[in-house]
Amino acid sequence: MARTLEEAGFATILVTMMPYWAKKIGTPRTLAVEHPFGHTLGRPGDRDGQMNILREALQALETIRQPGEIVHSTARWDQPTDEAVRAWQPSEPSPIIRELRPKFREMLREHRRK
Amino acid sequence: MSVDSFKFLPRLIEMFYKMTEIETSGTIPWTPLKKPVLDSRFGLVTSAGLYNKTEDQPFNLKRELEEPTWGDPTARKISRSVSREAIGVSHLHLNTRPILDDPNIVLPLERFEQLERIGAIGGIADTHFSLMGYQGFPPDTSTWRSKTGPWIADSFKAEAVDCVLLTPA
Repeated sequence: MARTLEEAGFATILVTMMPYWAKKIGTPRTLAVEHPFGHTLGRPGDRDGQMNILREALQALETIRQPGEIVHSTARWDQPTDEAVRAWQPSEPSPIIRELRPKFREMLREHRRK
Repeated sequence: MSVDSFKFLPRLIEMFYKMTEIETSGTIPWTPLKKPVLDSRFGLVTSAGLYNKTEDQPFNLKRELEEPTWGDPTARKISRSVSREAIGVSHLHLNTRPILDDPNIVLPLERFEQLERIGAIGGIADTHFSLMGYQGFPPDTSTWRSKTGPWIADSFKAEAVDCVLLTPA
């Protein structure tokens, strides 16, 4: 979508938890944040934290000159990782995960055997 | 220090992502900034599955439940004046509670109004957009490119938007 809107004549800035994909897809300007999924700009109610990320995003929008450049935010998530991993996930696994889980488990076991 | 894309992912989903083939293409599109950020007008696009409960239908999760390799490729308009209470979230891949508590964590309308008030940006559009990020497995973003994206672009152009902030969830 960032690419489509950039092609349509808008200067875009993408804020993402997954610079892995941004790099593969080739998004024009990207700010990477190390946040749990669903928390792109921070915690609910944390206006200052949200604003800090937005200021970083606006700065990246203004300073990135090279298409595809990814700026990495230095902000870090202040919560034990395993707790954050549990908290962002839905109470029920998504339909595709439910469907593919047995297959993935088998592949993980294969991977560990090697 | 670089952001670790996989820090908050369970191993199973990490593997799922690493197996996901996505289309990569050569040249990265580029539109230079036409004016400084503080004079630019902004449009916001999230893919958190937001919709206005008083005006719109949720994303089609029923079909996704029946057909797990499919994801709804449409978009919903979100007005800048929408009340928090009117925002619904339809997304089967996230805990939607934190977003319902404060939609600004994915669609920062109140923060952008703040930025507008203090003169850090030129302004914001009246109409913003939400997508629902899951586009099937393997992901198929062809409708985003051919229909949904141009529909959003037309609205932003009509509102003289210069810059777009995209916030996947």
